[in-house]
Amino acid sequence: MDTPAPRSVYAAPSLTAAIDALDEGGSTAAPFAGGTWIMRAPIRHEPLKSRYVAIGKIPELHAIKVEADVVEIGAAVTHAALAAALADFSEFDVLTAAAGRSANPAIRGMATIGGNLATTAFAAADCVPALLCLDAEVEIASRGGPERTSLEQFLTMRSILAPGRLLQRIIVPRRGRKTVHARLPLRQAGDYPTAIVSLAVSLDDAGHVQTARVAVGSVEPVARRWERLEAALVGQRLNAAKAAEAAAGFADEFTGRDSTEVPGWYRVRVLPGLVRRAVAALGS
Amino acid sequence: MGLNLTVNGDHLTSTADPVTPLVDVLREEFYLTGAKPVCREGFCGACMVLVDGNPTPSCLMPAELAQGCDIRTVEGLAVNGGLNPIQAALEACDAVQCGMCFPGMVVSLTHLLTTRPEATRDDIRAALTGNICRCTGYERIIEATLLALATT
Repeated sequence: MDTPAPRSVYAAPSLTAAIDALDEGGSTAAPFAGGTWIMRAPIRHEPLKSRYVAIGKIPELHAIKVEADVVEIGAAVTHAALAAALADFSEFDVLTAAAGRSANPAIRGMATIGGNLATTAFAAADCVPALLCLDAEVEIASRGGPERTSLEQFLTMRSILAPGRLLQRIIVPRRGRKTVHARLPLRQAGDYPTAIVSLAVSLDDAGHVQTARVAVGSVEPVARRWERLEAALVGQRLNAAKAAEAAAGFADEFTGRDSTEVPGWYRVRVLPGLVRRAVAALGS
Repeated sequence: MGLNLTVNGDHLTSTADPVTPLVDVLREEFYLTGAKPVCREGFCGACMVLVDGNPTPSCLMPAELAQGCDIRTVEGLAVNGGLNPIQAALEACDAVQCGMCFPGMVVSLTHLLTTRPEATRDDIRAALTGNICRCTGYERIIEATLLALATT
């Protein structure tokens, strides 16, 4: 019988201490934020790391700064805290809904925004498409100093981040757009979404779409923008039926992921309906 | 080096691995079996405890990080040996169900009663989103909660 390797959890008191511990731990160490994914490793038959660096006690990672042109969100901000902080900013309705309706109340009080973005294997993360449609950027801390990149780019590199790097902050530009988050869980609440459509649009004075961002989550292993649908929306008035029709025409570009909850084709099939809901919610 | 935990006001020591889920320490070392390890994914709420006053699925909290926190299990919710308001209302409304999901519901509703005295029926339902009953239902529990809110 194998003897389990001894494990440790280090509660880092500062960002510098966390980075040092992660750097020194190398590939044997990993950040530990809310723990709602890591603690389920045994359920997934995955081994735990031998060393975790807990970042939940680092004050600066809990900060939410609302400036005139950006909002900066610390990586250890919980979903509940994020939803509460942005509740009065209608331009962030998409993010408030993503953070405030995911999972269940207790999980929202534990799970962090950084964990949601950094967990490569979690395809159903609500905040990923929400932040994609908001053109968010992320800042990654390391001993070499912070690096800033787009969230889209981060999603392509997060699984191969070198040891000693830590998602520190999310930066969301303020552009006064109308935004909405449409999700379809199997149950009314407390469940993973089968599919997610996050939408952000700006309108001209005549009510035509000037810019559009559509992001789709939970359908494929990694959330991504739906650029063909974005292009179809620009220049048009918001019209839920027409947007759903366009979505139906473009939906074949997605390859739905199969899972025990639903087959992949179903995730794709519901996308036009979610687009209809999203556009309708914006008042089309 | 052991872990020092404060559970229901008692200072207790555990020799568990630091990543051990708190629910396992509570049950297997401290014999507080009200919290149940059922789904171990944070979905069902059967292992719910209060950590610094907040409902927390103890299956997802490593014991190491529970140090320094005030942990309260269903066994520690009674006030001076008497039932707390939600416990009393659940009993008065004959809403007590089996011991699998129910302790977690009592924990979640104790928090609701202390933090949301103006809670509505919908608020109660939302608060119980993470507490899954597999066999009986929620309506009598919701009625009991409304009674407790109206009388406290």
